[in-house]
Amino acid sequence: MESSELERFEAVVLPHLDAAYTLARYLTRDADDAQDIVQEASLRAFRYFAGFRGSEPGEGRAWLLAIVRNTVRTWHDRNRHHAKATEFDEKLHSEGIADDHPEASAVRKSESEALREAIDRLPAEFREVIVLRELEGLSYKEISDVAGVPVGTVMSRLSRARRRLEEALCIVTEDC
Amino acid sequence: MTHPVVVAQLDAYLDGELAAPDAGELEAHLRVCPECARLEQRRRTLGAALREHLPRYEAPDTLRARVRAGLRKETTPVGAVRRGPIAWRALSVAASLAVVAVGSWQLALQRAQGEALADQVVASHLRSLMAGHLADVPSSDQHTVKPWFNGKLDFSPPVYDFAGRAFPLLGGRLDYLGGQPVAALVYGRRQHVINVFLWPTGRGRSAGSGDFTRQGYHVLHWTTPEYTYWVASDLGLAELREFTGLLQRGDSAAR
Repeated sequence: MESSELERFEAVVLPHLDAAYTLARYLTRDADDAQDIVQEASLRAFRYFAGFRGSEPGEGRAWLLAIVRNTVRTWHDRNRHHAKATEFDEKLHSEGIADDHPEASAVRKSESEALREAIDRLPAEFREVIVLRELEGLSYKEISDVAGVPVGTVMSRLSRARRRLEEALCIVTEDC
Repeated sequence: MTHPVVVAQLDAYLDGELAAPDAGELEAHLRVCPECARLEQRRRTLGAALREHLPRYEAPDTLRARVRAGLRKETTPVGAVRRGPIAWRALSVAASLAVVAVGSWQLALQRAQGEALADQVVASHLRSLMAGHLADVPSSDQHTVKPWFNGKLDFSPPVYDFAGRAFPLLGGRLDYLGGQPVAALVYGRRQHVINVFLWPTGRGRSAGSGDFTRQGYHVLHWTTPEYTYWVASDLGLAELREFTGLLQRGDSAAR
């Protein structure tokens, strides 16, 4: 690829590396995995950059985020057997604690801890719309492009995700 | 305005995604309905809490350095040492040509997804060649293989026997591709194995059609209104196309 193409890539896509890393952090829940994902996604983005014709300022961001998201997907599929075992253990573990002392653990938790834990427990398709909307401020149309689902689905996922987070939040603030 | 309508529109309203007339109507309702106003207050509280407590992360310097190093490698002029299989370059050219014609990044993305799925198809094909992995139901009888999928998948894949054309059915198994369980049918040609992966079209990822080469294996992909097909084999391309032609004709005859 030509060096002018590299310059265009550096100007249009690379400024969104923080956004890419933030999305990967929330989707993988692991700092090292997130770095691997973003590196792989950036190279993939570059290889397909010739096909990118976006000119609006936000488009490079949505495009990179879409590739990050798909890279996470592929990566999960690839590590499925390993990941399945871990996820299963985690689930058992966290449910055990919650069932034993629901109030006790809730009282000790701060608002911030409760929210982060609730985010981590969300299904991936809910977690991604929350991150894209609340942290990155993407429009419904942009989220729909990134997640590859219709705008109506974006709206209903956001609504259901927020309802779950509200439940987690109101337990700590005791305002249900 | 009814309660369900408010619940359905509240998020769009708070996100500034509701059209002005609808937003006006919703606001009027919120002024007179304490119950809905409370819902709105809860959403606003949550939004503030999320913005306050959820961190946006900064990409670490090590990551930035790794990305830049990777890009430098990618841009090493042709002729110098270049990483990655040759197929990558050919395919990315094909991808860019396809995209220039339509001028949409969605298509580039779709192609990238196809690439990723082709990797998985070859990985599954290679796994199936390991001893004991080829078929969960080893049988050359299509009336044994097809019913075997009952209760294991929520679709009943079309199974043909092309023994008469020297592509005998060897069996079937469950496999996993693109994040979902799929049917894998195994056919043979002399000592070569052909894996056919399929699932209902419109479910999971499908990228239209395409040919891929990975580590000397051919991967052919197409989509019918009913099924999305991925076929992998080390068989020569001409013979493999003869086989996929039989499959496609079998499918259109079955409709």
